[in-house]
Amino acid sequence: MNRNKIRTFLEIIYNCPFVLLVIFTSVVFLIFFDGTEGREDGKNVAALRMIEEKSPAKENDITDKEEQKEDSSIVEEVQKPKEQGEKDVKNAGTRKENTIGIKKDLKCKTDNKSAEISGKQEKEKKHATEFVEYTPIETDSRYYSDAGKIALTTVYDYVLENESYFNDAAFLGDSRTLGISDYAGLEGADFFCDNGMTIYKLLEDDGVTYQKTGEKVDMKEILQEKHYGKIYIMLGMNELGYGDTPMYLRQYLKVIRQIKEWQPGVIIYVMANLHVSQEKNNMETEFNNININDKNVASARLANGSDVFYLDCNPLFTDEEGYLLAELTFDGVHLYAQHYDKWRDFLFAHGVEREEIQQTEGSGQTETSGVPGDS
Amino acid sequence: MLFSSVGFLFRFLPIFIIIYLMFPKYRNIVLLTGSLIFYGVGEPFFVLLLLLSVLVNYGFTRYMFWEPRYPQSNRKKKAARRRKRAIILVIALDLSVLFVFKYWDFAAGSINAAAGKGFLPLLSLALPLGISFYTFQMISYQIDCYRGTIETRAGLLSFATYICMFPQLIAGPIVRYGEVAERMEGRRVRIRDLENGLKLFTLGLGLKVLLANQIGTLWNLIMTAGAGRLHPLVAWLGAFAYSFQIYFDFWGYSVMAMGLGKMLGFSIPRNFDHPYTSRSLSEFWRRWHMTLGSWFKEYVYIPLGGSRKGNGRTICNLLVVWALTGLWHGAAWNFVLWGIVFFLLISLEKRTFGKWMEKSLVLGHVYTVLLIPVTWVIFAITDMGQLAGYLGNLVGYHREGILVGTTQLVRYLKEYGALIIACVIFATPLPVNLYWKWKDRWFVVLILLGIFWWSVREIVLGSNNPFLYFRF
Repeated sequence: MNRNKIRTFLEIIYNCPFVLLVIFTSVVFLIFFDGTEGREDGKNVAALRMIEEKSPAKENDITDKEEQKEDSSIVEEVQKPKEQGEKDVKNAGTRKENTIGIKKDLKCKTDNKSAEISGKQEKEKKHATEFVEYTPIETDSRYYSDAGKIALTTVYDYVLENESYFNDAAFLGDSRTLGISDYAGLEGADFFCDNGMTIYKLLEDDGVTYQKTGEKVDMKEILQEKHYGKIYIMLGMNELGYGDTPMYLRQYLKVIRQIKEWQPGVIIYVMANLHVSQEKNNMETEFNNININDKNVASARLANGSDVFYLDCNPLFTDEEGYLLAELTFDGVHLYAQHYDKWRDFLFAHGVEREEIQQTEGSGQTETSGVPGDS
Repeated sequence: MLFSSVGFLFRFLPIFIIIYLMFPKYRNIVLLTGSLIFYGVGEPFFVLLLLLSVLVNYGFTRYMFWEPRYPQSNRKKKAARRRKRAIILVIALDLSVLFVFKYWDFAAGSINAAAGKGFLPLLSLALPLGISFYTFQMISYQIDCYRGTIETRAGLLSFATYICMFPQLIAGPIVRYGEVAERMEGRRVRIRDLENGLKLFTLGLGLKVLLANQIGTLWNLIMTAGAGRLHPLVAWLGAFAYSFQIYFDFWGYSVMAMGLGKMLGFSIPRNFDHPYTSRSLSEFWRRWHMTLGSWFKEYVYIPLGGSRKGNGRTICNLLVVWALTGLWHGAAWNFVLWGIVFFLLISLEKRTFGKWMEKSLVLGHVYTVLLIPVTWVIFAITDMGQLAGYLGNLVGYHREGILVGTTQLVRYLKEYGALIIACVIFATPLPVNLYWKWKDRWFVVLILLGIFWWSVREIVLGSNNPFLYFRF
């Protein structure tokens, strides 16, 4: 009897090695990695912790106390809307669908208003990045909260430029920037971008593809060796489900400060992340315009109107509710190639002339003035 | 629930198989319950629709063969009339459910557009998962019953299990009752069946996750740039990418269904026979989605008279079959166009060069390899303006300048070259033949294990993972 049992057991092993191997490896994975989802979760948490640990240390490196204060206040302010949102919980449910509409209505009105204001009080308003407020909705996500406001393009006396303006420009970004690289026809500019690029990966060793050569390069080296007149950054899409907004802002701040250190006198454009289409907008996940707007508002706080500017291209491509227009996109996220013309014209229209910066910034920038970069 | 999801692979399937093996006497009940859970997780509302359809269909079959107890005059005649009434009613009912959910908005929208005003309301109903497949399966059962080709009609439990069983519920193959009737009443699962079934399933999983999903991103990339301003070579690359995507997706799903069927003790029919190695479009359709092809042949083409009623009638029948085949794939004009294109080409083949093509070694292959991607482009692009733009690009016609040119082409080829070669190899019978030859060798087992875990990795890192996007 016992022998028979052993025989059947051996038969099973002989007859179905694959089933047994799959079961065995699954069990091993379950034991050591605590389930597939847990495994990913763990990985993610570890990554977050690494970044969390890194960032405060970096902030201490910087000796300028005022800047540090400014930073912490910025980060704190970003965290505030979260609390406000929590207070609003009671009547948030019904508002969910309407708010986005209200948001953009507001936006259109204030766009006109801000134009008027900037006409009247040009000098005082010159460097401001304005925010339009609305009542935030309740969000239940550890990745974002509703910012409760929309950031507008930094008010400034922009100059209409042509292609030569981009001869000393660098673009850092994700797949949308890749689109600008491919289809906007800015031949003079340097593009450093990849699908899936994030603000966290940007300064990693050999982290980014230089589009002119198609090779991976080290952004740290490039920024230290080559001098650029302006740097355009657009990152935030791949961060939607990775860390929360304050963490994103901290990292963004770190990157910008690093760039300023390496590239004295550079003009930095923080570009808004383009919203997604209504079809793609998903409130169940982190992949929605509220989250994108949260990231945009956070990054807009970095704009100071003297050497950092926030550009919001969303009004060009979105409907009145803030959704990316369906006819401009195949996948709800990226523009068709032919529409990058519009984006290019928008960039042309937002040139910042160096002399003005010198006036507003004062001393300390003179050695780099007028240098169009060595590209 | 999809086969290629963590929930299915690591929760549903192992638990289900264990329970299934534990109660050999109640296999149909276990399978039916499991299938309803499988379907209900994704479609909590439409599972009721599915159940209702099954009950109503079963009721109609009972009515079809209902025998009155008391003697009647002209009993046979009455019974024949009742059968006819039942079959017409039940088919009409099944098709009208399908029509309301799948085609109403399309039909109403088209009529409204033609009339120039909106007098038919749009319903914007969600499409119940797999409704096209299970409706066709139910109709096949009813017709087979009516014709008397099924020896023993199914009881309610067998019938419900046959319609709902999860391996083929949401994406076919369309199994005819005769093919599984014997196994419905009782089946043995041998240990070898489990092994071979899981191997097949893994093969299908690899086709879907490692080939179809990956090559699909190339098509997406090209479409993201936009149809209409593509370099001809980029346009062709996109067409080939989509052809591979749809083939490996569907074939992979069918192979997974076959594997699961085997694990449960069924033998689910093959759905694909290396269609891309055909030498004519008629041959292609004998090898592509074979169960759908034979469904239309069996239940539409032949009842209409097939090719026996003269040339004019044959052409007419072909047109009906192909228009319906097009519509079955989706409710939009491009699908109709797609069907019509096949109708034109296949009738042309039948009349003229078909025989000749199938004999020639090179020409036939070149002909299908170039033509099939074009038909898939028609299939893929729903917007007529874009479709025209893309087809123009394929032949080098551009209304405006080229935006996606050789620079992008080189980048795409660099990134996807290896994958494209893998796709070409897997479109030939070679890998499958090697698999059947060596499937019990230890190295094949190890390769399959690798495929399994690599697929799982892709599933976890891909869209199923909420934590990592990194896609834009």
